[in-house]
Amino acid sequence: GFIYPQSSNKRGLKAQLRKLIPCSGGRRASARTQNSVEDELELSAVRHRPEGLEQLEAQTRFTRKELQVLYRGFKNECPSGVVNEDTFKDIYSQFFPQGDASTYAHFLFNAFDTDHNGSVSFEDFVMGLSILLRGSVQEKLNWAFNLYDINKDGYITKEEMLDIMKAIYDMMGKCTYPILKEEAPRQHVEIFFQKMDKNKDGVVTIDEFIDCCQNDENIMRSMQLFENVI
Amino acid sequence: MAAGVAAWLPFARAAAIGWMPVASTPMPAPPREKRRTQDGLIILNVSGTKFQTWRNTLERYPDTLLGSTERDFFFHEETNEYFFDRDPDIFRHILNFYRTGKLHYPRHECISAYDEELAFFGIIPEIIGDCCYEEYKDRRRENAERIQDDEDNDNNNDLVTPDMTMRESMWRAFENPHTSTMALVFYYVTGFFIAVSVMANVVETVPCGSSLNRAKDISCGERYALAFFCLDTACVMIFTIEYLLRLIAAPSRYKFVKSVMSIIDVVAIMPYYIGLVMTDNEDVSGAFVTLRVFRVFRIFKFSRHSAGLRILGYTLKSCASELGFLLFSLTMAIIIFATVMFYAEKGSTASKFTSIPAAFWYTIVTMTTLGYGDMVPKTIVGKIFGSICSLSGVLVIALPVPVIVSNFSRIYHQSQRAEKRRAQKKTRLARIRAAKRGGASAYLQYKRNGLPSDAPDEASKEAGQALVSKVNPTFESQHHHLLHCLERTTNHEFVDEQTYETSCMEMTLANQTRSRSSSVSSSPHGLSSCCSRRNKRKSFHVPNSTTGGGRHGSVQELSTIQIQERPLSNSRSSLNAKLEETAQLNCDQPFITAAIISMPTPPVTTPEGDESAGSPDYSQSNIVRVSAL
Repeated sequence: GFIYPQSSNKRGLKAQLRKLIPCSGGRRASARTQNSVEDELELSAVRHRPEGLEQLEAQTRFTRKELQVLYRGFKNECPSGVVNEDTFKDIYSQFFPQGDASTYAHFLFNAFDTDHNGSVSFEDFVMGLSILLRGSVQEKLNWAFNLYDINKDGYITKEEMLDIMKAIYDMMGKCTYPILKEEAPRQHVEIFFQKMDKNKDGVVTIDEFIDCCQNDENIMRSMQLFENVI
Repeated sequence: MAAGVAAWLPFARAAAIGWMPVASTPMPAPPREKRRTQDGLIILNVSGTKFQTWRNTLERYPDTLLGSTERDFFFHEETNEYFFDRDPDIFRHILNFYRTGKLHYPRHECISAYDEELAFFGIIPEIIGDCCYEEYKDRRRENAERIQDDEDNDNNNDLVTPDMTMRESMWRAFENPHTSTMALVFYYVTGFFIAVSVMANVVETVPCGSSLNRAKDISCGERYALAFFCLDTACVMIFTIEYLLRLIAAPSRYKFVKSVMSIIDVVAIMPYYIGLVMTDNEDVSGAFVTLRVFRVFRIFKFSRHSAGLRILGYTLKSCASELGFLLFSLTMAIIIFATVMFYAEKGSTASKFTSIPAAFWYTIVTMTTLGYGDMVPKTIVGKIFGSICSLSGVLVIALPVPVIVSNFSRIYHQSQRAEKRRAQKKTRLARIRAAKRGGASAYLQYKRNGLPSDAPDEASKEAGQALVSKVNPTFESQHHHLLHCLERTTNHEFVDEQTYETSCMEMTLANQTRSRSSSVSSSPHGLSSCCSRRNKRKSFHVPNSTTGGGRHGSVQELSTIQIQERPLSNSRSSLNAKLEETAQLNCDQPFITAAIISMPTPPVTTPEGDESAGSPDYSQSNIVRVSAL
């Protein structure tokens, strides 16, 4: 945009002034940092514009009106058009005041940030929501598997599951009944693996996971819980 | 709940699908959803000025008037708009708050009018953005002070409340002499006697004409010794009575004794008593004379009578570092010039500059432009350096003085502002924390009532009535459902601080009683595995390390840890600390399980409750351990 020429003029003027003043050594350094700050601001001020409404309508299962409402809410919270991890953690932590939701928010962020560029744009956001709210059970289970598989190698190991479980238990905070014991996440992981790991090889693959979940009535029922959220 | 986050609740609920596959118990049913209204434009007519906005924009803050159903009271059917009979100029800022999430304070508006509008629309002022918050608080404080001054002026003319005790009224009389006639009389009497005492001390030393026996004049103090003694006695008696009365009336005697004024009082009257005790001892009469110098401190008693003196003392105290620096730079200059002058004048005969310390006197007198003339340089070099000394004296002394003066005012205002900001921050954070706690406690209240989302009024009443006007029921019910799902996933429940503390307390008491009675029946296997872990942790954060025997000692430590640690924050570190404690508790569990089986009377039901009502995996693990024993 036309911001760039203006700042380059400013920089030129500053450079001329600096040449005039002999003892501006210290000021040069601060001016340099100030310029870098300005650069940063300009970079971050780059607006991210999402794809057109028709394209998003085609790629997701939301209607036009729903997309409009979603985008308005999204843009209000993040005027720059993207969410970075800190903002994401902030927002998610507001819903769990008693515990520490930042670890789970971190995993969630990685699950939403499908192209792993460090920020969640509106497209990522809406694709994720489309799977979670309007997707088939298979897709939802796929998404959940992707969330648990932290290093995205196609297997859920016990360590990954333990991390996820600890993150979930962290959200509870400390004031719980019964009192949260340190082994609770680990025990929970053991149960999970006993249920899911059919061939007992210590990892859960996507097929084992989907198979087992489809055979579990509770899980199937709970997957349908949030159909009407939007 | 922080404002604006309501828009992200659907996302948080959708993300809850991540908990479903690992949940240990089935999920609760979602709340009944009202028919979703289309997002339409709302017209807000504020005294004729029409504002339009999306309905969703207003509903981003469901705990305000515009965001909740409270606005229905203002709906005007004939024109199909919401009509508010308020100031449209201030309303513009309030509506911008909904749009941008930041509330600004316009400087030209009256602070009380603005406050009223905020209160009407149910917005707490703490949300005001950082850009305008300081200005807002300053104006508010000025206003409050003005109102307070007006009230004080009215109050000072009121009579004292009759139910004040004698002691309190006495103290009040001492502190504010204007409150009663007796206090005023006392005030003037003490002031008069201070003046009399100081004058007597001064006049005592004036030569009063010669007596017949001696050649030289004797001072009035020696001539009229008895009269002066009686005067001194009377003054000291008054001062002593005053001091004792103040000591009796003081609300905190220890604080009173430590205060500066009381020290001055004591120092003022002590010489007299010491003199009474030591009159006959000739050896220490020299010291006794020195002690009389302290009588001059009586003049400082005037600072109770003069506010200006107090302020001067306070400012001197607060600028001690600046004064110290002035002194230090002066000392440096003095030493430099004294050295120079000494070596310059060393050559001249009969020079008064016998040593460098002797030259100090010359330097000080010259630099402060006094110029007594008792010491003057005679050599040309000496005179040159002497003139440099006097010129630099002007600079060295005249320059820091305005700096110190400006430092006074700067430091004074700065400390006031820093304290103000600190206090603001504290109260602000406290209110935000209270609102947060209100949100958490709203959920607990909702659970306790066991009501479905139809009746959120109970929850909203609990959740900080001072801060919110009305709660959007749909949002609250959905948020509670989300928290309920988390509970079901982890098979633990949210409780509040007190319940948690009491259950911890019960567990430690249970541990203590059981450990004392069942120390024999504990298994060595369990002891070794758990105690090794416990011993590792014994070293840290135990205030009184009881190295006494085995389990008793460590259980003792456990209870001290429990009782003395009060983790107030939910930070990860404290969370970890608490988890380790509970882990220590946990490793007591297997023994207790064994103990329960052998003893017929289990005193506390909490651990049992855990096992019976807990998840299958939990009791399973305990059963496994019992059988291992």
